Amino acid sequence: MSETRIDVKDLVVRYGDQVAVNGVSFTVGRGEHLTLLGPSGCGKTTTLRAIAGLEQPSGGSITIDGQTMYDAAQRRTIPTEQRGVSMVFQSYAVWPHMTVFDNVAYGLRVRKQGAEELKANVERALDLVQMRHLADRGASKLSGGQQQRVALARAIAFSPTVVLFDEPLSNLDAKLRAEMRVELRELQRRLGITSVYVTHDQEEALAISDRVIVMNVGVIEQIGTPEEIYNRPRSRFVADFVGSANIVKGSLAGEGLFATDGGVTLKVVASHKPHGKESEVAIRTAYIDLESRPGDNHVPGTVRQRLFHGDFVQYVIDSALGPLIVRRPPVNLLDEGSVVTISFSPEHCVLLKA
Amino acid sequence: MTLLTAEALRPRRNWQAIITLAILLVVGFLVILPMVFLVGESLNIGDPMSFPPEAYGIKNYLAILEEDINVLINTVIIAVMATVMAIVIGFTLAWILTRTNVPGRDKLERLMELPYYMTPLVGALAWAVIAGPKSGFVNQLWKGAGGGGDLVDVYTYFGIAWVMALFEGTVAFVMIAASMKSMDPALEESARVMGASKLRTTLTVTLPLVMPGVLGASLFVFAEMLGSFAAALVLGIPGRIYVITTAIWDSTLSYPPDYGRASAMGLALFVVMFGMLTFYRRVIARGSFATITGKAFRPRPMDMGRMAWVLFSVCLLYVLLAVVLPIAALVFTSLQRFATVILSQAEFTLANYQTALSLGPVRTAMGNSLMLGFGVASVGVLVMVILVWIIYRSQLVGRGAVEYLVMFPQAVPRLVFGLALLWAWLNIPIPIYGTLWLLALAYFTVMLPLGVRTLAGVVLQIDKSLEECARVCGAGWVYQMRTVTLPLLKPGMLAAWLLIFMACVRELGASVFLMGPNAKVIAPSIVAAFASSGTELTAAMALIQTFTVVAALAILFRLTRGVTRELT
Repeated sequence: MSETRIDVKDLVVRYGDQVAVNGVSFTVGRGEHLTLLGPSGCGKTTTLRAIAGLEQPSGGSITIDGQTMYDAAQRRTIPTEQRGVSMVFQSYAVWPHMTVFDNVAYGLRVRKQGAEELKANVERALDLVQMRHLADRGASKLSGGQQQRVALARAIAFSPTVVLFDEPLSNLDAKLRAEMRVELRELQRRLGITSVYVTHDQEEALAISDRVIVMNVGVIEQIGTPEEIYNRPRSRFVADFVGSANIVKGSLAGEGLFATDGGVTLKVVASHKPHGKESEVAIRTAYIDLESRPGDNHVPGTVRQRLFHGDFVQYVIDSALGPLIVRRPPVNLLDEGSVVTISFSPEHCVLLKA
Repeated sequence: MTLLTAEALRPRRNWQAIITLAILLVVGFLVILPMVFLVGESLNIGDPMSFPPEAYGIKNYLAILEEDINVLINTVIIAVMATVMAIVIGFTLAWILTRTNVPGRDKLERLMELPYYMTPLVGALAWAVIAGPKSGFVNQLWKGAGGGGDLVDVYTYFGIAWVMALFEGTVAFVMIAASMKSMDPALEESARVMGASKLRTTLTVTLPLVMPGVLGASLFVFAEMLGSFAAALVLGIPGRIYVITTAIWDSTLSYPPDYGRASAMGLALFVVMFGMLTFYRRVIARGSFATITGKAFRPRPMDMGRMAWVLFSVCLLYVLLAVVLPIAALVFTSLQRFATVILSQAEFTLANYQTALSLGPVRTAMGNSLMLGFGVASVGVLVMVILVWIIYRSQLVGRGAVEYLVMFPQAVPRLVFGLALLWAWLNIPIPIYGTLWLLALAYFTVMLPLGVRTLAGVVLQIDKSLEECARVCGAGWVYQMRTVTLPLLKPGMLAAWLLIFMACVRELGASVFLMGPNAKVIAPSIVAAFASSGTELTAAMALIQTFTVVAALAILFRLTRGVTRELT
């Protein structure tokens, strides 16, 4: 990640009076797969479209490979078609009036590539997504998954330096989505593509990204690797939006100590330097044990409710921390009313920013 | 793979900006300029033929109130009668075809499109033949059966309104049916579940939900009626019943032509129609409640039992009155030496067709109309596609104003627009007055709303990302339009082409003012024949026009079937 491919600085995008993106800055390194994650309306797609030149920002700058694509101060905007980026759209945007081959060849034809080279490149791209046998098929006769593959082949066929993905898997059914996720990750690694990926699916974001940016109401909440985002959520929003977490209120009680409103003192960690006004900690539901382990925070509790989900069991435990949600593997089931000891490592008790 | 980076994409000249600007200038010139001339002339109180006016004043407007007040009253009476009838027709048909289990519903719905292929002019001529005083077929039969006097007379207020209503009824039907179809059946079902009877549900839920649609249709139809020309021209003049459109026409025929008076009346009509249409838009925008969800529901039809066949007959009766009977009457008339329904007296002949086709002026007029239709539709569709793209797809500042500009001719009655163009081009030192070129410009301008609306429907259906993707792949605007947008628009462009072609060949209102002795077109020629020669020849001409359009459309459908099939 030494070399910066995309550099976004203080990006602002307005729609009339509304500010969709409010001062967003980040960089993407060569070959990196960066994901913008957030609920709908958080500005993630707008940011992506601004990089592609499909939205006109009103402030900041965007640089790709050292070339200024947009700069508010210099009043400089390079039109989309000259940015050399590529994009996979949420709706696939496979042109229904062309064959699969023509769709994939489009970017190469725009670049006036010779017939033989063009054919070789198209076939290589189609091979990568296992669609070569359908090259002559009309694009309107493809299934959703096949259209997805064509869109992908089209996006990489002209060897773009950067590929942008706008929720490319959101229109597929759950099973296909999981498969494509694996393929996409593999392809991205194999070709060393630099990519920016937008999704509202936190599972998808964690699974396929080198780094994740969590966005909310037009600003960045947290940037980090998937593990950092999950294990050390910085804010209440990130803790809630990514994975599931229990939030316990209280106040700081010295170095690495947190006194809850229920009168329990917990050992905690923070991903930032605490300034004293912090009032919440987050504990991931998956990181809570129901047997005491040495070195952990311990709180006694009673099982109030048990919901069997199949892949996991969810308990609601009444304790001095309030009702806690706990997810355990579906073995050694506890009955409702059982008395347990809630146990979680200080590493997993994360102080949130005030 | 060879690396193709941003450098491979040469910066291009900004064709988008150049083409956009050129088209806006031309369209602005065509739409705005005639209206400016019209306003100027309506305020001219000096010599009406002088330009620019020698003196300004509002005398022309005052004269309408003093001398032509009965014309205004006639206009309102006829428009109200016609609107009420058209809405009754439209509502009845819409209710039958969307809410009851009438047999053959889908086929009947297709039949309702038929009146659209007739024109009010042809309809009016046909009803003059059917129900004219003395010589009308109905009165001939009445007399033959021993009756005295005339049983029916179409040269009356009611007659004019009746013909107008028959042909506007299908418009009312389409609008009201749309609002009935878009109603979520769950709204009615929940009333039934709460214990309301069928009647109570209809009164308390169905009707209030459909009312905005009916009100909207009424306003729209009323505005159309105010500006309608053909029926009043054919049926009103013989009985000396003048409405505002025929009065405008009449005052340009006097010697010297009173363009000042005509302009003032035209502008007054325009202002009223514009107000009605604005009000209509308000009603449509505000009154739709939550029934219009954009989803087409198929409401569960009411079981009408044996009544269903009665309703079926009602639908057929409408088609009979609006299409079958008029065409039959015209065919019957056109094949006789003197039109009569008493078969023993009939002398059948093809002489009328022979005369019509051998008359130089008729042939030229038909040829001119077809040529204009072909040319205007072909060039017009291309320009309109770009206009539509600018309005609905580009980021152009002020594209809302562009939309307003191109939709503007819709609010101007054809006749008034024709008058405005006449006055403008009489005074612009480019000698195209009296040539087909002026007719072509006029047709293009008055067809703008029709074409743009048709194309907009298709453009809005095309996912925006299909175009964006082309840009991301490195295509410039022109390349993107050529390879993605235009091919996707093919079916829509074809539909718009056909509609414009059809409308051009039948155009009457603007043509009457703009055709010159060396640039005749067919619809005004039919009117002229009706005034000067027999109904038999006129009927033959009207049928030739109607069937030429039908034949041209049939050929085109055949030729282009491949295109439409490919994308549907």
